[in-house]
Amino acid sequence: MTLALRQTWALGRRAVAGTFRFPQAWFPSLFFPLLLMAIFTASFDRGIALIPGFPKVNGYLDFGISGTVLQGVLIGGVSSGAFFAGDIERGFFDRLVTSPVSRVVLLTNRLVAGIVLAAAQATLFVAIGLAFGARMEGGVAGFVTLIALAGLLAVPIGGLGILLALRTGSAEAVQGSFPLFFALMFFSSAFFPRETMTGWFKAVADVNPISHLVEGMRAQVIEGFRPGAAALSLAIIAGFSVLTVGGSAVALRRRLGAM
Amino acid sequence: MNEAILAEGLVREFKGGIRAVDGVDLQVRPGEVYGFLGPNGAGKSTTVRMLATLLRPTGGSATVAGFDVASEAKSVRRSIGVALQDAAIDPFMTGRELLHLQGVLHGLSRAECRSTADRLLDRVGLTEAAERRVGTYSGGMRRRLDLALALVHEPVVLFLDEPTTGLDPTSRLALWEEVRRLNTEAGTTVFLTTQYLEEADQLAGRVGIIDGGRIVAEGTPQQLKAEVGDPALVITPADPERRDAAQEVLVRFGPEVEARPPGTAAARLPGGAARVAEAVRALDEAGISTASLDLHQPTLDDVFVAKTGRRLEGHGGGESPAAGRGKRGRRR
Repeated sequence: MTLALRQTWALGRRAVAGTFRFPQAWFPSLFFPLLLMAIFTASFDRGIALIPGFPKVNGYLDFGISGTVLQGVLIGGVSSGAFFAGDIERGFFDRLVTSPVSRVVLLTNRLVAGIVLAAAQATLFVAIGLAFGARMEGGVAGFVTLIALAGLLAVPIGGLGILLALRTGSAEAVQGSFPLFFALMFFSSAFFPRETMTGWFKAVADVNPISHLVEGMRAQVIEGFRPGAAALSLAIIAGFSVLTVGGSAVALRRRLGAM
Repeated sequence: MNEAILAEGLVREFKGGIRAVDGVDLQVRPGEVYGFLGPNGAGKSTTVRMLATLLRPTGGSATVAGFDVASEAKSVRRSIGVALQDAAIDPFMTGRELLHLQGVLHGLSRAECRSTADRLLDRVGLTEAAERRVGTYSGGMRRRLDLALALVHEPVVLFLDEPTTGLDPTSRLALWEEVRRLNTEAGTTVFLTTQYLEEADQLAGRVGIIDGGRIVAEGTPQQLKAEVGDPALVITPADPERRDAAQEVLVRFGPEVEARPPGTAAARLPGGAARVAEAVRALDEAGISTASLDLHQPTLDDVFVAKTGRRLEGHGGGESPAAGRGKRGRRR
């Protein structure tokens, strides 16, 4: 067991180092969410007070920052999946498989790296938000809850990335799934409240679990420390984790069995 | 452990019924260097992948270091070192980091990882490049690092899949030297796949030739060459028109060699060099003057041609059984 932990640690460190040493791996997941946050804040900061039904917030930044965190984790998950697929393409995966590493470690090392990266990234985003005047109503407890949720969110998202990597074995294919993630995110309340939506768009956002997930995160920022809302987010994360990590375990078994 | 590698009727069938490996039997003794020869797509890599537990056989069985590749995969993995085709190496990590990581994967302690990395870097001549990212390495350096990575846990059996494909001659020689040293000093069993007959000739004590998923010949390089038969006398008539006439003369001395460069006549010469003069005299009597003459000792190339009816890749075209080469062949 301790060996498995050491292996996870060593491989997880490699995954983190691999992300930091590849600008194309970390740049998009920092740049695009921050860009969107800046644009939305500049566009809507004053307008939101005039929109009927928009939750009472200090400014758009307070509202949007959870969406930004979510977006960062999504992009990070896609990058991580692409990285995994790259390992398969380059043959590094074969090297791992021919070494006495437990099959579980093959998955956990990436998930652990994903958690670390996502939490670090979320911390950075929130710090930037606070520097630009956002207010954390939930205080330290809310902040920690938000970061923890962001880190844990890397598990289902990373699991999906790994699943795609194992099924396709192609970094390009995994990268290609990116617009799908994005569409899912925009058809949710990640950046705008469901209260202001109408028609079928609202119907989709209402059933989109990402809405409820992000709202649980957002509550910590705009309302105060809300364990109940966080628990709902956690439940959604756990549910999806079972699906995607379970799916990638099956995909791993299939790949190793068929190989 | 009686055999380092033992395969019986090994089969791998892919989707669509393609049998990449179709009943391969192998027996490799501990301490042996076994050369596994064949063209692209012959089933070499598929066989290696099965022996290295990367691919499950769909038929037959195999043990490596005494462990079954299917049911005791984990024990096999502890015993083998694997350097697969296209050096599987992270471009963004340094050589030392990769060796360290490999050490952890094989359960070495931190101190062991450090000393092993130092020792192996020195051994493959990468100490100076150890802190550089692998992305900056040359092809030869990557292969040497790949070899070092395969040796971290002092494996009993080492699989090298086309270790020198794409390398320049100097790097190739260096790698050969390393493999030889490993085998003689540590007694490591080496299973080497290659498309280069010269490589097998240089390194392997025994050679198996695989074609179409089956082993078509096996033995020591000497045995296999002897099987091909006598040296070939290859002549180029000064007058290209007289080639057929020259061939008619030569077949009086021995069987015609089909695989020969265009414009030449060639026949196997029982008795070898002793009968060259006689053959030349006969040509002379027939009024055929020769532009060039070569007595070609059989090589593994010839074995390959004899067994499969084809040349290996990179040995086609103008390359001949006699095109002026002893040890040095033309390589891609």
